[in-house]
Amino acid sequence: MKEKTQVADVDRAFYDFRYDEDEKNFLDSGITPDIIREISAEKGDPEWMTEFRLHSLDVYSRLKMPQWGPDISGLDMDRIVAYLRPQKRMQSDWNSVPDDIRETFEKLGIPQAERESLAGVGAQYDSELVYHNVRKEVAESGVVYTDLESAMHDEHYAELIKTHFMKLVPPTDHKFAALHGAVWSGGSFVYVPAGVRLDIPLQSYFRLNARGAGQFEHTLIIVEENAYLHFIEGCSAPKYYEASLHAGCVELYVGKNSTLRYSTIENWSKNMYNLNTKRATVAEGGKVEWVSGSFGSHVSYLYPMSILNGRGARAEFTGITFAGEGQNLDTGAKIVHNAPETSSYMNTRSISKSGGISTFRSSVVVNENAVGSKSAVSCESLMLDSISRSDTIPAMVIKTDKADVGHEARIGRISDEAVFYLMSRGLDENSAKALIVSGFAENVSKELPLEYAAEMNNLINIEMKGSIG
Amino acid sequence: MSGLNILPLPTFARLGVNFVERDAAFETEKISVPAGTERQIIQFVETDSETSVTIAENAKLKLVQVFTGRCASVLKTAVADNAQFGLIQLYLGGDTVSEIITGLNGYKAAFAASIGYDLGAVGALDLNLVVNHYGRKSTSEITANGVLRGNAQKTFKGTIDFKNGASGSKGSEKEDVILLDESVVNKTVPVILCAEEDVEGSHGATIGRIDEKHIYYMRSRGIPEDKIYEMITCARLARLIGRIGDEEAKKRIYSILGWGDEDE
Repeated sequence: MKEKTQVADVDRAFYDFRYDEDEKNFLDSGITPDIIREISAEKGDPEWMTEFRLHSLDVYSRLKMPQWGPDISGLDMDRIVAYLRPQKRMQSDWNSVPDDIRETFEKLGIPQAERESLAGVGAQYDSELVYHNVRKEVAESGVVYTDLESAMHDEHYAELIKTHFMKLVPPTDHKFAALHGAVWSGGSFVYVPAGVRLDIPLQSYFRLNARGAGQFEHTLIIVEENAYLHFIEGCSAPKYYEASLHAGCVELYVGKNSTLRYSTIENWSKNMYNLNTKRATVAEGGKVEWVSGSFGSHVSYLYPMSILNGRGARAEFTGITFAGEGQNLDTGAKIVHNAPETSSYMNTRSISKSGGISTFRSSVVVNENAVGSKSAVSCESLMLDSISRSDTIPAMVIKTDKADVGHEARIGRISDEAVFYLMSRGLDENSAKALIVSGFAENVSKELPLEYAAEMNNLINIEMKGSIG
Repeated sequence: MSGLNILPLPTFARLGVNFVERDAAFETEKISVPAGTERQIIQFVETDSETSVTIAENAKLKLVQVFTGRCASVLKTAVADNAQFGLIQLYLGGDTVSEIITGLNGYKAAFAASIGYDLGAVGALDLNLVVNHYGRKSTSEITANGVLRGNAQKTFKGTIDFKNGASGSKGSEKEDVILLDESVVNKTVPVILCAEEDVEGSHGATIGRIDEKHIYYMRSRGIPEDKIYEMITCARLARLIGRIGDEEAKKRIYSILGWGDEDE
């Protein structure tokens, strides 16, 4: 009897540890004006931000839940705790971080990565940043990497924050953007001055430890002209039986002739609703590069959006999604060509197994003024059994005759011919299939720094077993 | 107003592709192709119509539909074991909403659709094609080729849906659109839904201008640029019209297009 080749689910045991929380640090669950005012007071918001939060709450209460995409009826907003007070203020020395939190990040390898391969690190635990540090030489180059709250109170950056915060993703964008505007907390602010190239990456890591809570960090990055930045975002949480919510927001401003690479390895636990919004605007000659690995969460809605506003602006999106048992991951990207001679390229892979549902959803919009623009979309899906689902829903809207847009997609299983070829070269069947599945994910792993590619491969944790006959 | 042409799995609402608001008063027609027989039917669709087709085991149907004016059309077809359904559709202007739902219910049921459109001036087309693969080793092949001119607006939604149990099935979908004027709007949504491991599905789309190399070649042969566009448009439709066996129907189509007999 032939045994089916097995590809393991993502092994999350490495991320699935937790520490007890002191419940006196929890604000009440639910989203009400009183809670919003309390969050604002706890954080010492300037007046405009308090008003912004209350306005966002008003928008949130008026907007409907999304009428498309995976079911999120299991998310009871009345039971979500939007804010947890920090045990201690943000530190720039790991030894000053509370022991349990420091141990958490040490287990996740963040301090080690900082020493070996990063220009700066931010670490968020539940609602607030607990650690932020940037190398001296990086700071001396004029790069600012700090938490958003500190920047908002710094006279040098306060106005910059006010003019950029939730301008790319306004609260009216959708219900969870409005929620974010009301309850956001934590996240990073990065400012790269004109002409500065940061050759080693910055990383922010977001850890949600508390049961039944939400995490709503806001990442705001401004890269001025002729600059370069690679920013890495990581996230994880231990598994609980109650639903958790991640409704973060990322806003990226890429200046003229600059490049921003934004890499994410997302490994939320399987009780998480990941309703995240990411958006970039790219100026003339600039480029945004998204590298995205989606492995965790119970339900995801995630479509990083690139708005190409300057002549010759470019966007690349490279992504992989692995949906296993109990997961419904709806991922993809959105691109808007809004200027002449812009170009975009989307290259994605998805894997479904053990009843997991993976949906690739994208949109490419080429507006009337985007003459001479080009776009190409390529997506491939691999089905590893027949109890899973894999859906592909790309959309292209073209409003000019002077553009070239191409799309291709394939769906299937592991090719018998490819297995046969590899076996004819001396591999056994299991090794051949393992190699094919690893290769399938290579579009993303080759785009990541070595350490993170290794982490991603660890996440996929492919195990093959079986026999022929 | 009611919703027509509903995308089987809705997507971002702002794109305006999930459904069409349209009132329609459908005239209904039923077509049955008995087991083991072969039929060819040619329809010129000019009013709102709903056609239900049943193709029995080992039967073949070639259905040609030509759309010339403002109308809404629904075509629902069930294809049984080893039966074949060949569909040719031509959209030649007007304001058309067209839905094609094909159920490949039987073992080795096959569907091949060839669609051509030439939307000039203010033509509008919303086309929603859905192929449901239920039967094992069922096959579908969809090709759409068209040209948009003037203020034409076109939405093509093509869905290949591999249901659980449709093992060994294959489906492919390809659209090639040429945009000839700056005011055109093209929307393309090629969808694959898959609940079966042992299938092969693919879709592709190319949207945009005529390849510059082709234009260069033809200009180097002394053909003016506006004539080149006309020739390429005609060639695309002529290829499809050539597959319609009926000479009377072909003449009628040429007449609608304003082509003389020499264009044959």
